[in-house]
Amino acid sequence: MRVTQNLDQAQFLTALNQLESSISSSQNQISTGLSFTTASQNPVGAGLVSGYNQVLAESQQYTTNGQSATDSLNIEDSALTQLQDQLQSLRSLALEANSGTESAQDLSDIATQAQQIQGSLLSVANTQDGSGNYIFAGYSTETQPFALNSTGATYSGDQGQRQVQIGAGQTVVIGDNGDAVFNQIKTGNGSFNVTAASGNTGTGLIGATSVTNPADYVAGTYSIDFTAADAYQVENSAGTVVSTGTYTSGQAISFDGMQVTLSGAPATGDSFTVAPSTDQSIFTTVQNLVSALQNTTSSSAGQAQLSNSITNAVNSIDQALDNTQTVQASVGARLNTITTAQSVGTAQQTQLQESISNIQSLNYASAITSLDSQNTTLSAAMQAYTLTEGLSLFKYLS
Amino acid sequence: LSNIFGIDTSALQAFQQAIEVTSNNVANASTPGYDEETIELNTADPQLTGGIDIGAGVDVSGVQRSYSAAAVNQLNTSQSSLGQLTSLQSYTSQIDNLFGTTAGGLTTALQNYYSGWSAVADDPTSTAARQALIGDAQALAQNLNTTSSQLNEMNSDVNTRITADVQQVNSISTQIANLNTQITQASGDGQSPNELLDQRDQLVSNLSQIVGVSTTSNSDGSINVYIGNGQPLVLDQNTYQLSTVANQFNASQLEVASSTSDGVAISGQITSGDLGGLLAARTQAIDPALNQLGQLATTIADSANTQQASGLNLNGELGSAIFSVGAPTVSASSANTDSTTATASITNVGALTSDNYLLTYKGGAYSLTDTTTGANIALAGTGTSADPLTASSVGLSIVLSGTPASGDQFLVQPTTQAASTIGVSLTDPSGIAAAGAVESSASDANTGSATIGTPTVTDATNANLLNTTTIQFLTPTTYEINGAGDYTYASGGDIGQNGWQVQISGTPAAGDTFTVQSNGSGSGDNTNALAAANQDTQNILGNGTISISGAVSALISGAGAQAQQVNTAQTAQTAVNTQAQDNVQSISGVNLDDEAANLMQWQQAYQASAQALSVANGLFTNLLDAVNGTYT
Repeated sequence: MRVTQNLDQAQFLTALNQLESSISSSQNQISTGLSFTTASQNPVGAGLVSGYNQVLAESQQYTTNGQSATDSLNIEDSALTQLQDQLQSLRSLALEANSGTESAQDLSDIATQAQQIQGSLLSVANTQDGSGNYIFAGYSTETQPFALNSTGATYSGDQGQRQVQIGAGQTVVIGDNGDAVFNQIKTGNGSFNVTAASGNTGTGLIGATSVTNPADYVAGTYSIDFTAADAYQVENSAGTVVSTGTYTSGQAISFDGMQVTLSGAPATGDSFTVAPSTDQSIFTTVQNLVSALQNTTSSSAGQAQLSNSITNAVNSIDQALDNTQTVQASVGARLNTITTAQSVGTAQQTQLQESISNIQSLNYASAITSLDSQNTTLSAAMQAYTLTEGLSLFKYLS
Repeated sequence: LSNIFGIDTSALQAFQQAIEVTSNNVANASTPGYDEETIELNTADPQLTGGIDIGAGVDVSGVQRSYSAAAVNQLNTSQSSLGQLTSLQSYTSQIDNLFGTTAGGLTTALQNYYSGWSAVADDPTSTAARQALIGDAQALAQNLNTTSSQLNEMNSDVNTRITADVQQVNSISTQIANLNTQITQASGDGQSPNELLDQRDQLVSNLSQIVGVSTTSNSDGSINVYIGNGQPLVLDQNTYQLSTVANQFNASQLEVASSTSDGVAISGQITSGDLGGLLAARTQAIDPALNQLGQLATTIADSANTQQASGLNLNGELGSAIFSVGAPTVSASSANTDSTTATASITNVGALTSDNYLLTYKGGAYSLTDTTTGANIALAGTGTSADPLTASSVGLSIVLSGTPASGDQFLVQPTTQAASTIGVSLTDPSGIAAAGAVESSASDANTGSATIGTPTVTDATNANLLNTTTIQFLTPTTYEINGAGDYTYASGGDIGQNGWQVQISGTPAAGDTFTVQSNGSGSGDNTNALAAANQDTQNILGNGTISISGAVSALISGAGAQAQQVNTAQTAQTAVNTQAQDNVQSISGVNLDDEAANLMQWQQAYQASAQALSVANGLFTNLLDAVNGTYT
C-alpha cells in the first residue's frame, strides 16, 4: 500500500486518541473504585446493581422498622409485667378478705387498697410510649383510652392493632388494644359463670366449676333451685328440669356436660344462676369487689354473699391473669419473630452488598496493570512516530 | 539544425511544467481534498528529415489527478454512516451520563419516598414523619421534572442542530451548482479542470457527512446530487433547497422538508449523515426516554393517589391526591381538514405502555396504531363523552369533540408530559392518609370465640364507605348485615359491604355482633401507610408483571444498552471510515518522497536538455564561423 505523510499522521492521531481515551477511562475507574460509572459500560450490571440497591434500601428500612417495633413491644412487655403484679396483689387481697376472719374495718381497709390497685391498673392501661402515643388505645393512639367511672372504666380506644413491616411480605403486630387486654376478660371459668341470687337466705357458697364434657356442654342459662335445704333441681332457660338431686355440701352437681360445686348450707328457695361467660372489664371486676367489700352485712347470709362475690372476683382476676400471660407470650413471640427477621435481614444485606461489590467494584490489580500497559503502548507509539516522521527524502536534497 | 533547438526548447518547457506540477503537489500536500497530480508527456509528432523520421521533442498532453471514483464513493458512504452514528452517539451518551447508574438520582429519590411512607407507618400520628414524607414526595417529583427537562433540552438542541445542518446543506448545494457551471465552461476546451473537480469532490464529501447523498455525472462534466429516495439537491446548475417545517403533531419538533416535497416532511427518508443521526436521536433515544420516565411518573402518582383515596387522613376524611400529573396529550395533525379536538385519559395504569398511538378516522371508523410497534390496537365505543373510544388493552380512553373529517389523524401521547408535569399537590401533613378507611371491632358482650380481621378497602369510591355497619349473628352459622339478610357464615370467608371487605373467623355465638366503621380522626392506624410503603415492589406496570423499582432498573439498563450499542457501532464505523480514508489517501494523497524523487528526475532532465541546447548552440556557432571564414 502506498503511504503518504498525511495518512501516516492521521493514523498516528487516531491511535493516539484511542489510547488516551482508554487511559482516561482506566484513570476514572481507579479514582472512583468502580468498574463502571455509566450504564453503557455494563448495561446488565447497572440494571442488576440498581435492583440490588433498591432491595438493600428496603431491607435496611425493614431493619429500622424492626427496631422501632422492638421498642414498642418492649414497652408493652414491661406494662404487661406490671399488670400481672398488680393483678397478683389484687388476688391476694381478695383471698385475704375471703378468709372469714376479717372485721368490717379490715374489709374496708382492703377495699381502700383495692381502690389503690384500681388506680395503678388505670395508669398501666394508659401507658404511653416515647412519642406520647397510648399503647393500649388501638388506633386511637392520641386519645387517653381508659377513664374510671362508677361501674368500672370507659374505653375510648378502638380494637385496631398496628402492624409494622419487618421483612418482604412480613408484618408484625405491635401493641394490643386495651379492649383485648383489659376489657375482653371472660367471667367465671371462661365458659360459664355461677352467681348467687341476691335474695338467698342460706349460706350456700360457690365452689369449683368446670365443663366436664365439652361434647354435651350446652352454653345456656340455668338456674339451680333449692326445693329443700337438701334437695335441688336444675332448670334450663326453657323451664325444663335437666337435673334433680340430693344436696350434699361440697359435692359436685352435674348437668349438660358441666359441674358446679356448692358448699355450705343453702336455705329452701335459694337459687344460683349458671350463665355463659361474658366479657367483663378488669376495672368492673375491681369495682364490683370494692362495692361488695364496702356493703357487707354481718349476718351469715351476708357473709356468704360477700364470699360468693369475692369468688366471682377471684375467678375474673384469674381469667385476667391468664389473658395477660397469653398476651405477654404473644408479645414475646413477636419479639422473637423480629429478632429472626432482623438476622435474616442482616444476612441479606451483607449478601446484597457483596453482590453489588462483585458487579461494580473495581479489580485494582487488573485495572492498574491495564493502565500500565496502555501507558507503555502510548509512549512506544509516540517514539515510533517521531522516528518515522523525521524521515524525508527532501532532507537529502541539496 | 533548427530542429535541435525546437526539441530542446520543448523539453525545457515540458520539464519546467513538470517541476511546476511537482511543486504544486508539494505545496498542496496537506490541502484537504487535493488529489495528487501527474504531468503527462508525449513525444511530439516526428518531422521527416531527409526521408528519415526524427523525433521533434516532447509535448505536455495534460495534467492528470490521481482519482478513484469508487474509492471516493466508498468514503462518502462511510462518512454518512459515521456522521449518523456520531450525532446519535452524542445524545445516547448524554442520556447515559444523565441516567448514570441511578437514573439521574431517581433510584435514591424513590427509596427516600417509600422509606418516608415506612416512617409514617412506624408513627402515624407524628407530624414530623408526615412532613418528611411530603418533602420526599416533592424531591421525587422534582427529580423527575429535572431529568425530563434535561431530555427536553436535548430535543431543543436537536432542533437547533437540524436548522444548522439544513442551512449548511443548502449552502453546499449552491456551491456545487456554481462549480458545475464553472466546470462545464472549463471542460469546453478539452482540459480537465482538476482544481475545480477537487473542490467539488471535497464539497460532496462535506455534504455526505451531513446527509447521505448519491451522485450521478452528466456528459458536460456537471453532477447531480440526490438525498433520501431521490429527492434532488443539485441538478446540473440548479439547486433545490431544504427547509425545516414543524412536525404535523408537535410544533416544537422540527422536520426536514424539500422544495420539491411541497412542505411535506421527508425526515423519514433521511437515515444517514449528521442529520439522520439527529432525527434518530429524537425518535429512538430522547422521546422514548421521556415516555418511559413519564410512564414511571404516571404509575407512581396514580398508585399513590389511589392508596391515598383508600385511607383516612388525620382529620378523618378520605385522603386527597398526593401527586398531580398531567393528562395524556392528544395532538391533531396540522394536515387535518376538520377542527375536531380530542382528549384522552388513562383508565388502567397497569396496561399503560410508554409508546405513542396514532388515531386515524377513515371511512367512518376509527383505528388506533402503536407508533413504535405498528400494532393495531382494538377500539370500542364511539368517541362521544357518553361513550368514549376505549382501548382497554393499553388502558386509554379517548373523547372527541365531534366527528372528524375522513383521513384526520391525532397523535396520542399518554406519558410524554407526565415526568415534566408531576408535582406534589398535598401540602398539609395531616392530609396524608396513613389510616385505613374503616376499622373493625367485636362487641364486648360477644360470647362466641369468633374474631374479626382488619378490613380492606376494595372500592374507595363507594359513597357509603365510611358508614357504620353492624354484622350480627342470628345463629352460629348465619348472620345479618345492618338488620338485613340472612347470610350463611363460613369461617374466614369474605364479607363485603360499602366498598370494604373483612373476614370473621372462629366460632361465633348467636347474638354476637361485630362492627365495621370509619377509623375516625386522629387515628394511629397505619394500614394505609403500610400499603403505600410497599408499592415500589408491587407488580403494577405491564399488566401486573413489573414493579416500579423493576421499571427503574429496566430504564437504566435500557438506556445503557442503547448507548453501548451505539458506541460499539460508532467505533466499528470509525475503523471502516479510517480504512476508506486510507484507501483514498493511498490513491490520491501526496507522498513527499515521491515528489522529491520526481523533482530530482525533472531537474536532471532539465539540466540535460539545457546541456543539449548548449551543444546545439556550439554546433551552430561552429557552422556560422565556417561560413564566415573565421573558422580556423
